[in-house]
Amino acid sequence: MNPESTELLQGTLDLLILKSLELGSLHGLGISRRIEQITHGTFVVKPGSLFPALHRMEEQGWLHAEWGASEANRRAKYYRLTRAGQKQLGEETARWGRIAGAIGRALEAT
Amino acid sequence: MESLAKIRSLVRNAIRRARVERDLDDEVRSYARMLADEGRDRGLSAQEARRQALIDLGGVEQVKEQVREVRMGTRLETIWQDLRYAARMLRKNPGFSAAVALTLALGIGANAAIFTLTYAVILKSLPVPDPGQLVRYTFRERGVSDLSISGPAYDSLRRHETVNQDILAWSNTDLAVDENGTVTRASGALMTGNGFRVLELRTYLGRVFGETDDVTAGGPNGYQALLGYDYWKRHFQQNSGIVGHPLNVNGRAVTVIGVLPEGFDGLIAGTPTDLLLPLSFEEVTNAPHPMRHFAGSFWLTVVGRLKPGESLAAAQANLRATDAVVREEADPSHMFLRGFFAPFKFGVESGRGGRSFLKVDYAGPLLILELLVGLLLLLCCANTALLMLARASGRTREFAVRSALGASRRRLFRQVLGEVGLLAACGLVIGVWLGWVAARALVAMLAQVGQAPELDVTPRITILAFAAAVTILSALASGLWPALRASRTAPALDLKQGETLSSSKRLGSWIVPLQVAISVTLLSAASLLGGALVHLLLEHTGFGSDRLVMADVDLSPAKPTSKQAGQDARQVLEAVENAPGVQSAAVLLGPPLHNGWSAGHYFSVEQHGAVHSDMQTWPETVSPDYFAAMGTQILEGRGFAKADEGGSAVCVLSASAAAFFFPNEEPVGRSVYSGGSDPSKDGVHLDPKDACRVIGIAEDVRFQSLREPPPRMLYSLASDDDGATRFTLAVRGSGSGLSAAALRNAAKQVVPLAPEPTIYTFRELVNAHLQQERMLTALSTCFAAIALLLTVLGLYGLLARSVLLRTREIGLRLALGAPRREALLLVASQGMRLVLIGATLGIAVALVVSRLLRSLLFDVRPADAVTLAGVAAVLVAVALLASFIPARRATKLNPTEALRHE
Repeated sequence: MNPESTELLQGTLDLLILKSLELGSLHGLGISRRIEQITHGTFVVKPGSLFPALHRMEEQGWLHAEWGASEANRRAKYYRLTRAGQKQLGEETARWGRIAGAIGRALEAT
Repeated sequence: MESLAKIRSLVRNAIRRARVERDLDDEVRSYARMLADEGRDRGLSAQEARRQALIDLGGVEQVKEQVREVRMGTRLETIWQDLRYAARMLRKNPGFSAAVALTLALGIGANAAIFTLTYAVILKSLPVPDPGQLVRYTFRERGVSDLSISGPAYDSLRRHETVNQDILAWSNTDLAVDENGTVTRASGALMTGNGFRVLELRTYLGRVFGETDDVTAGGPNGYQALLGYDYWKRHFQQNSGIVGHPLNVNGRAVTVIGVLPEGFDGLIAGTPTDLLLPLSFEEVTNAPHPMRHFAGSFWLTVVGRLKPGESLAAAQANLRATDAVVREEADPSHMFLRGFFAPFKFGVESGRGGRSFLKVDYAGPLLILELLVGLLLLLCCANTALLMLARASGRTREFAVRSALGASRRRLFRQVLGEVGLLAACGLVIGVWLGWVAARALVAMLAQVGQAPELDVTPRITILAFAAAVTILSALASGLWPALRASRTAPALDLKQGETLSSSKRLGSWIVPLQVAISVTLLSAASLLGGALVHLLLEHTGFGSDRLVMADVDLSPAKPTSKQAGQDARQVLEAVENAPGVQSAAVLLGPPLHNGWSAGHYFSVEQHGAVHSDMQTWPETVSPDYFAAMGTQILEGRGFAKADEGGSAVCVLSASAAAFFFPNEEPVGRSVYSGGSDPSKDGVHLDPKDACRVIGIAEDVRFQSLREPPPRMLYSLASDDDGATRFTLAVRGSGSGLSAAALRNAAKQVVPLAPEPTIYTFRELVNAHLQQERMLTALSTCFAAIALLLTVLGLYGLLARSVLLRTREIGLRLALGAPRREALLLVASQGMRLVLIGATLGIAVALVVSRLLRSLLFDVRPADAVTLAGVAAVLVAVALLASFIPARRATKLNPTEALRHE
């Protein structure tokens, strides 16, 4: 694992998981790799954080999980966004945009 | 939508737990396998890839545990799991579990019992709608318990009432009910006709009486009565046919018109209401001298209901404004309300709980008891904490293992707290039961001669809620510290070291001084309260209490005239005197030790041409043999003789009365005048026909109360013409049984219509009189004994544990040549240090508590050095004993074995 990978910010994990599932269903390891990929290795999600988050989000109704077969023909649990999850992704993205913008402006201010 | 999903998950997690668990396991393992696949793809060996995958994963069990923690319903489930685990652990250690549960049960039970009493005596509301709107009128002088209100004063107060909707008057009185020829006593109450409206009280059965029923003879249909629910149940087997039937009460036919609701015991706490009649019935109960319109009898409890929006303050203001008018209207003679009772003020207070004489007497003692049981509970918690810590120190390894297996700190914390919680729950069940039993025993202790106060002590919702709150508090108090300790496990270290690492600090040695301090406080409280009781019992009362039997006789059901009553009394007395085993017998009108109040009676003497009057001399009307029967010594002159009856009036003064009326003079042969008036008024004419000649001086007696200095007494003989329907008989004889039989037979023979007299020995009277002190002494002694026991057990447990843990150290010392004495000292001094710290602390607290006791009870003396030193000595001695056994065990250690000990 990349030792320099940044610790996830509070609340960003949910957003990243939702984002990683935007294009289709993925299993746990797939989500983890996808997040690494889309953040260019900045964020590495460990299973100890990933699984609790997945289960929590599933219980909240944002994700739907079902068993399927992986590329290597392994049995794996696949997650996809529900309609509520898509809505949540939209809201989180907008919120994140606001926060990022505000922080950015704050840091530029003299 | 989201909440729906949550509920679905919650249900799924709860119901299909096994499947959810399997699912999770599969998922995490499949992740691990895919990680391993990746590793192999990167060219690692199969074994190395799997190893790397597991490292990256961070442990299958740990990940699963982390998922479980966020799952819906996890909290509930893990709590359930923890509780089951705790229950299993506790079942494995029955001795430990029983010790903790019983300790907590004692603390909870004691608190529940005292609270039950406090609730019944002080906090309980009347079972009527909106009791908060009720107010009660008081008539009191500063510091003196409040008097009742006279009939005319009630009428006047009612006339000038503007703040209350209306006010009622209530009075309890003993009634004699004739049930098919046998006369039984019933605890009756009289109430004005507007009472039901003021209280908004409905009946369980039948109808209420109203103002038209509260008139002379009860109106055209005669007197109407309601039965108390319990009385109806006991005497009429809940037969609803009783309504409409006549009942013979005090020789009068009254009609039963209804039954009061269950739980309504009347307005006076602790006095049941078997029968409720209109106030006008007083003309029957107090015949031939009713007091309804007499300004000098204070006997009514007055309760009003505020108009909506009005307040207690407004009622007070109204009273202040009308005070002068009320005094004038209620007592035109100015003898009472403007005379002796001028310093007494009318007032109002909340009438939510009705009126409680027990409250007046017991508010202080109950406060003390609440304080003592609070301390006891603290001690029980300390003991539990100590036990839990000792156990935790032996479980270091278990905790370390659980922690290594993925249990979070919070989980360990919860586990220990769960164990305490379970034990506390057991303690709660036992404690509630204990409390109930104890509360019943306590109510029995509150019994007055002839009757027990009827206090409802069944554990109701309030009591149970209180007990539950106490339990939660004590579980937290005793469990938090051990739970914190357990959660601070360091697996790597603890697994290797086992329990030898535990220091005595880990055992909570700071708890022992706390226990000792509480014990010292409780012990000194017990010795102070007990000392007060012993002091009262040993003090010379002026009565000879041996072989003295008394009886309260009530002739009123036979409706005699004054003359008849006098003759009846004489006949009863003669019959008693002639009975076998009776040495002397006497009639007295005012019974002793009844905390009574007599005022409004002036006695005057003429001295050097000036009249001196006194209103605080207690007039006691007796029969000739009174002094012999009561065992009161005549100091000078002579007592009464039969020959004095019917002759010119004679009287006997008590020593203090003689000294008061005739300072430095010879009292015998002088005259005392009954009547007279305010000493501030000059030129009063003394009528020789009111005079009595002093024939002797008797020793002082504590007539009204053993707690107060003897009052001035003036004894005179009863005249046959003016007999009272209620009087007391005193009999001195060879045996209490014989005397009691003589009294019973004589009463039955002479006045068959009267209810059986209440018979008691003088000692019983003294016991009932001192019940406050006896109860406080008994309970505080009991608490102190429990405290001492718990402290000793705590200290013993701590030292025993510490010897066990220090086995290796002690063994090493012995192996290096330390004398065995040193091992003994090592352990004993550890114990003593704790005890001494605690005792010092305890003495400081005891001093504060003793001051508090004194402020609540007059007869408690200040804590003296001897008491405190004695208490401390007891503790040190007991503590020495407790340390001796573990210390001896330390000296018996075999160094070679000890060094191998783990």
